[in-house]
Amino acid sequence: MQTGFILAAGGLFCLLVAVMIGWALAAYNRLIRQRNQVQASWAQIDVQLKRRYDLVPNLVETVKGYAAHERGTLEAVLAARDGAIAAAAAPGLPARAGAEDALTQSLGRLFALAEAYPDLKANQNFAVLQGELARTEDKIAYARQFYNSAVQTYNTSTQSVPSNLIAGLGGFRPMDYFEALDGERAAVQVRS
Amino acid sequence: MDPRLLLDLVVSAVALAGWFAAYGLVRVLTRPASPTPAPATMELGTEPPAVVSLLVSRWSVTEDAAEATLLDLAARGFVELRQPDDDPMRTTLHLPPTPPDDSGLRPYERRVLDRVRGLAVDGVVPLTALTFRDRAQAKTWNRRLRAQVVADARAAGLSRRRFGPTVTSLLTAAAVVVGVAIGIVVWHYSIWHQAEENLAIEAGTATFAALTAIAGLSPGERDTPLGRQVAARWLGVRDWLRGHEQFDELPPASVAIWDRYLSYGAAVGATRRTSTVLDLGMGDRRLLWSSYGDTWHRVRVRYPRFSARYGQTLPKLLLRAAISIAVGGFLLKVFGVAFDLVPTSADQAERVFAFVADGIVVVGLVLLVSGGHTLVRGVADLVTERTVTGEVLWLEVWRTTGQGDDRPARPWLHYLAVDDGSGDRTTAWGLPSQWAGDCHDGDIVTIRVRPWTRRVVAFSVVGHGRSRGSVEPIGTDQTRTPVAERGGRAGSTQAARGPAELFTVDEVGQALGLPVRPAERLDLPGPVTGVQFRAAGDGRPVLAVATLSGAAAQWVWRLNSRGRELPGIGDEAYASGERAVLRVRDSIVLVRVLGDARDRTARLPWLLAQGTARMPAGRDGG
Repeated sequence: MQTGFILAAGGLFCLLVAVMIGWALAAYNRLIRQRNQVQASWAQIDVQLKRRYDLVPNLVETVKGYAAHERGTLEAVLAARDGAIAAAAAPGLPARAGAEDALTQSLGRLFALAEAYPDLKANQNFAVLQGELARTEDKIAYARQFYNSAVQTYNTSTQSVPSNLIAGLGGFRPMDYFEALDGERAAVQVRS
Repeated sequence: MDPRLLLDLVVSAVALAGWFAAYGLVRVLTRPASPTPAPATMELGTEPPAVVSLLVSRWSVTEDAAEATLLDLAARGFVELRQPDDDPMRTTLHLPPTPPDDSGLRPYERRVLDRVRGLAVDGVVPLTALTFRDRAQAKTWNRRLRAQVVADARAAGLSRRRFGPTVTSLLTAAAVVVGVAIGIVVWHYSIWHQAEENLAIEAGTATFAALTAIAGLSPGERDTPLGRQVAARWLGVRDWLRGHEQFDELPPASVAIWDRYLSYGAAVGATRRTSTVLDLGMGDRRLLWSSYGDTWHRVRVRYPRFSARYGQTLPKLLLRAAISIAVGGFLLKVFGVAFDLVPTSADQAERVFAFVADGIVVVGLVLLVSGGHTLVRGVADLVTERTVTGEVLWLEVWRTTGQGDDRPARPWLHYLAVDDGSGDRTTAWGLPSQWAGDCHDGDIVTIRVRPWTRRVVAFSVVGHGRSRGSVEPIGTDQTRTPVAERGGRAGSTQAARGPAELFTVDEVGQALGLPVRPAERLDLPGPVTGVQFRAAGDGRPVLAVATLSGAAAQWVWRLNSRGRELPGIGDEAYASGERAVLRVRDSIVLVRVLGDARDRTARLPWLLAQGTARMPAGRDGG
């Protein structure tokens, strides 16, 4: 009788342990999947940001041909680009978000400036670059949405009970959102 | 077994088995491909969401196509989705005061937009009110949308007919061989069996017709090299979207943030919640949207079922009550004297008889009370008659009368759910079926009703509903016409106009001398499309119309071009008994008078002449 009871209790305990291990593995794999999704989403942003870095020098060169005396604005754009590239190399997402937003703002000022130069607006190369930049900005916006969505899902998993136990043991830390800084939320106006 | 019979059976079996083996092999060889997904990406392509839905669903159009198209229209500013609270089911569609230019919309996009515009009240329609309330309409609308999506995909080189002209021709040629083989077998059998009648030609022709019909059935679409390439890219997008768990939970109104990503997400099946809310199929008859009073509100409808009193006329009700009272009274009179709840007799048989008598007395009493109740309530029903004016929410057959095995059941009562604006719940009325053809969901009707029997005793339509504007003619050719419209390959040299469009209800009514209901689609095999008209009074079929074109039409024409020639109608026309047949170039129309209308064939030639004017070829050639 006693042996049967011990066997039953032991069996139950083993079953419980197996269920817990199964759940822990599933939770761990889910966290891995979510973290990979965050990284993949970030890669999409990165691709588009680099595309923007490549477009900026060409744009500045084109504008320089028509509005060379607007040196301050042009240099500000190039400086913002350099700042964004430097921020990309350094750790810390908020700093990079700030640098990217600064570039966005400076590009906005550049396009506002172009409004005053009809010859520049009529330039084929400028129109192509402007259109290309507009599409890149759109893609950055969507990629940022996807990234933030993936981060939200991942952070929710790392912070909610009981998956936070696995997150703590597995070294899964909450990630930063890629957000515009408070004072720089106005979207850049790129008219194509 | 006679060796000659054995030979006949073997030849028949080998011929038929050979043909079906070839058909099966062709089906296997033309299966749509399953492309390997490209790496997950968020880069969208230029294909519209409905076509994307076709590509990622192995070249079949699912319900996702219509839903994704609606979301795409929202992303492009043709409609706006607003969700007032946490419940996505309460999302409403709003038409913008200054919509974008819609001249570039594809046919299926326009179809979806027209449905929204057709139902909108002051530019607003609840998202869940887009469902249909008529099964045939839902089926026709969705089938045409599918055909238009397929046509667009074919025009873009992304899809093609699964059985091309070569395959169909080969199968038809093989069917000729099998038909000849079967004809020879039957001829041989008739000779050695010394049969009175040799049916070789008929058997061969029937076999050929059946096999051709099977070969002509559309097995759907299949991939093209370009289609596989594009599908692989979209499968990559699907993987990307499915990787975002949050995307699965987005409501339809989030299209304002996600733009076309949400519509493509719906197209590739990555938006579970949005797809749950969006529905362009059949609606739930128990929970319906009403726009009566120019405001949208939901009405819960109850459909009474069990009691025999529902839908009954007063004479029938009174007759039943009288019978019930008479039988109950008789039982009480006969067995009442023997009523004894506590029999004291020592005799076993007497005690049993007393119990039986008690039971019969109880039954009599129930019948008496029930009859009295029916009598009183029936008379009271007359007094409490009232008039209701409201919007028709639902209309469907409630009760039918069986007419034997060889004739379909005849409806005599329809459910009619009407919202009079007095509350969010209503109970359907019983509408005599002869009036059912006069109204449509969305119409405003005034009905005189008896509340206890739920019977409608007077009925009039006081206003036509908006949804009448979007009623689709049922039974027209579904796949070939849109392809031809877009300049794609049509299935035949010249598709016949659909039978539902050839004759109007009034013309059929005039020809047969009796009022008829609108055409109902008939499911016919192969390339044949057909409709039937029913008498408005008793609902019995009175006229069947079938159209077909191309090679199959030539064979059918040869079999049917008999009887009295009707000069001056189309290229050729004949009438024989209750049948008439018309040919205009390679399209033919078969008309057959049915049932009680069989003796009303005098005006069939006139009816055919009306149809001739509407056949495309008839305008220039007829």
